[in-house]
Amino acid sequence: MPEPTRGLLEAVDVSVRFGGVHALSDVDLRVEAGGITGLIGPNGAGKTTMFNVLTGLVAPTQGRVCLAGEDVTGWPPHRRGRAGMARTFQRLELFARLSVEDNLVASWEAAHPGAVFGRGRRERRARVAEVLDLLGLWEIAGRRAGELPTGVGRLVELGRALCTDPRVLLLDEPSSGLDAGETSRFRDVLLDVVGRSGHGEPSVLLVEHDMALVMEVCDRVTVLDFGSRIAEGTPDEIRADPAVRAAYLGESDVA
Amino acid sequence: MSGLWPFVVFGVFAGSVYGLAAMGVVLTYKTVGVFNFAYGAVAMFCAFTYWQLHVGWHLSTWIALPLLLLVVAPVLGLVFERLFRPVLGLSAEVQIVVSLGALAALQALVPILYGTSNDRTLLPLFPRSTFLLGGGVHVGYDQVGMLVISMAMGVGLWYLLRHTHFGVATRAVVDNRDLAAMMGVNGTSVRRVAWIISSVFAALVGVLLSPTQGLDTYVLTLTVIYAFAPAVLGRLVSLPLAFAGGIAMGVLQSVLSKYGSSGTIANLEAAIPYLALFVLLVVLGKRLKEAGLSVRPVTPAGADLESPPARTRRGPDAAVVAGGVAFLLALAMPFVVHGPHLGDLTFGAIYAMIAITLVVLTGWAGQISLAQFSFVGVGAFAAGHLAGAHGQHFVLAALVGMAVAVPMGLLIGLPSLRLSGLYLALATMAFALLMDTLVFSRADVSGGLTGITVARPTIAGIAFSSRAGFYELVVGVLGVLGFATLALRRGPVGRRLQILRDAPLAASTLGVNLTVTKLVVFAVCGMVAALGGAFYGAMQQAITPTDFAFSASLQLLLLVVLGGRSVISGAVIAGSVYASQLLLAPVLSPRISQLIQLSIAGGVIGLSRTPEGTVALTMAEARRVLSVLRPLPRRRLGVEAAASAASAALATSASAPGYRASSLEPPPAGLAPLSVEVRNA
Repeated sequence: MPEPTRGLLEAVDVSVRFGGVHALSDVDLRVEAGGITGLIGPNGAGKTTMFNVLTGLVAPTQGRVCLAGEDVTGWPPHRRGRAGMARTFQRLELFARLSVEDNLVASWEAAHPGAVFGRGRRERRARVAEVLDLLGLWEIAGRRAGELPTGVGRLVELGRALCTDPRVLLLDEPSSGLDAGETSRFRDVLLDVVGRSGHGEPSVLLVEHDMALVMEVCDRVTVLDFGSRIAEGTPDEIRADPAVRAAYLGESDVA
Repeated sequence: MSGLWPFVVFGVFAGSVYGLAAMGVVLTYKTVGVFNFAYGAVAMFCAFTYWQLHVGWHLSTWIALPLLLLVVAPVLGLVFERLFRPVLGLSAEVQIVVSLGALAALQALVPILYGTSNDRTLLPLFPRSTFLLGGGVHVGYDQVGMLVISMAMGVGLWYLLRHTHFGVATRAVVDNRDLAAMMGVNGTSVRRVAWIISSVFAALVGVLLSPTQGLDTYVLTLTVIYAFAPAVLGRLVSLPLAFAGGIAMGVLQSVLSKYGSSGTIANLEAAIPYLALFVLLVVLGKRLKEAGLSVRPVTPAGADLESPPARTRRGPDAAVVAGGVAFLLALAMPFVVHGPHLGDLTFGAIYAMIAITLVVLTGWAGQISLAQFSFVGVGAFAAGHLAGAHGQHFVLAALVGMAVAVPMGLLIGLPSLRLSGLYLALATMAFALLMDTLVFSRADVSGGLTGITVARPTIAGIAFSSRAGFYELVVGVLGVLGFATLALRRGPVGRRLQILRDAPLAASTLGVNLTVTKLVVFAVCGMVAALGGAFYGAMQQAITPTDFAFSASLQLLLLVVLGGRSVISGAVIAGSVYASQLLLAPVLSPRISQLIQLSIAGGVIGLSRTPEGTVALTMAEARRVLSVLRPLPRRRLGVEAAASAASAALATSASAPGYRASSLEPPPAGLAPLSVEVRNA
């Protein structure tokens, strides 16, 4: 079997219906190991629903979700989390009353049940310090997460996801609310993180509105429109795809 | 069949009042987004006011009733609007606390305003004489009157919402508050009207119910809770379903009353509204939507002006030091305090023990429980039945009580898997009322009206039967429990519970098993409350079911909110307040005690947005006073040095050196110097 060509995280033929509304119709999505996959589409195209299906917050009406070849469709969210999936949220879901540092610590603990004393504790400290370094969050490590501006909150959510040492990182519009400097910094962090812990992991699935960022960092891009996949390919192919231009990009200039 | 018919007819009449109440509850939830736990208290307050106007001051019905419906009830509605305005859109927890505070305030206000006489009765608005309805059923004009009034009100409300400007404005506000405001709909006046109508409905409910239910502050308040199940049946949005549900509830109760006026069936008749509420909540589960969108997280109101101090992990913890001092003082109390007063302190310590479970459950894990005293009751009755004449089996009895509390905790934790916030609070309330009506009311559990006796414990040959001995035992257990909980607070367990409260979905995607965590926290808190119950029973010695009624759980929640629901010291304060009430009760006149109750309720409403309660206020004040004496912040320099070192390391990889400055909220540059000048002047 050609093992390497198989995606690390795959959605196969996924459909979701809310009442009569088709949020997703027969969508395939593949996140390759060691790369950044983009998921784009106009508002209401079903991107966040796709995230919820992948992480187990929404059960698909039809279709499968596979992580490293294993069918995880029936798994609850926490089991997927422990198997190596981590995500951020478009509408921030921070642990608002905890400090930034405790947000990261709590996340590490959630992903490593039972490893709270002795060696586990040292590992936890090291990992949290590493992530605080990586994202430049030391200065606000003691602030309550709930009182941070949105842009910083997104970084904390990213840090929280990183603390679980994920195999796949799902980022839901991470750059919205960030200013130009923060976005550029975020791009560097993103490129720095991918493939860092060896084995080509973590891989990243990125939902993003900032086209310039998507086209720059992504290896492959999937385009959704009205709950259907209308294109899949490299950024260059996507840029050239007439269906994408018509449905989503219009005639506007694509960076 | 013909035997059943009269019961159905009477059920429709009685149920129409529940339907009226249910519509009143739904109306404010739908338009304002607030579920009013105090609805029964409003009805009760209005019934007493009507009695005062009509019987006390001899005003005729034609003056008293319009005065009640057109002046008193609307004013009460406006007071509620004002009360809830600051907490609109805040988390369900805050709104629940406010409405429970309002409930307590109204219950305290009635004896203050109208005295405590027990022999008050109200006659029905309509004559009790009967006429023959079809099927050989004689019905009273008063019963028909209830149905007519309720239906007229329902139709009137329907007309108002469908065919008037107010109705359009209401629907606009319900659909999208902000958009409606932009279109020029005044949300506040819509909410005012909704509160007024709801309050008038409550007044009618009170006046219609009190002739049959009697004028009793507690009973009337609880009877109106019968209407919560129909309201939930309409998912708190459908007025017709709420009304129909009320009638169905009346019929169900009435038909059950045919089959028995005593024993299990009679209990079931009283329990059926609570059972229906519990079952409906579990069944409807996630299909119930929260209207009180918790967009804004709760921030501490007392101390939010200054950013909370960065937590340093070194050095002695202030809470541990304070707790240690308090513990030693408590242990030394028997040298100063003697006799029955020591008993009051013991009660306070036991209360603090129980309050700790509520802090962990509600303050930390965000799971509101209105049933904590049901667990206390289980522990107390287990001790009563098993501890033996001299308490030689006390430990065993306490363990059995705790063991029984586990499945109970799982049962009450069950709805928490599918519900949160408001609906969970309703489910725990229904559970507590079910325990009252189905379990504690059984003679074989509670020993009937006389109650049962609990012996003081003998543990390892030592008899803790003296006041001082038992006191030291209780304080010792409280100390162990308190310090153990303090130790958990900053550790993995504390964090796990707090992330469950702050962002359960995020926690689950990170690997937290919500089901297990919730069930465990309910079961463990229930177990500890049952342990408190064993001590409570041994202290009280003669226990009756009323000690553990829903009202006790309610009072516990209020005192914990007052003390501070997210901090252990809040539980200790709750215990101290409880003990002080007991200590002062013989000295103070009843009127003063009622005023104290009222001020506690007021304090609860005022502190609804402050999870740290009075602790936060005291700390903020102390910090302000001490800030003058504070040395220059050395430690902070250390933190900043580390931060700048870290960011220097970052600068090598980061392409945006300006990040550090831009990542934080810019200080209000224009304001800062100004405020300094003002202070200097």
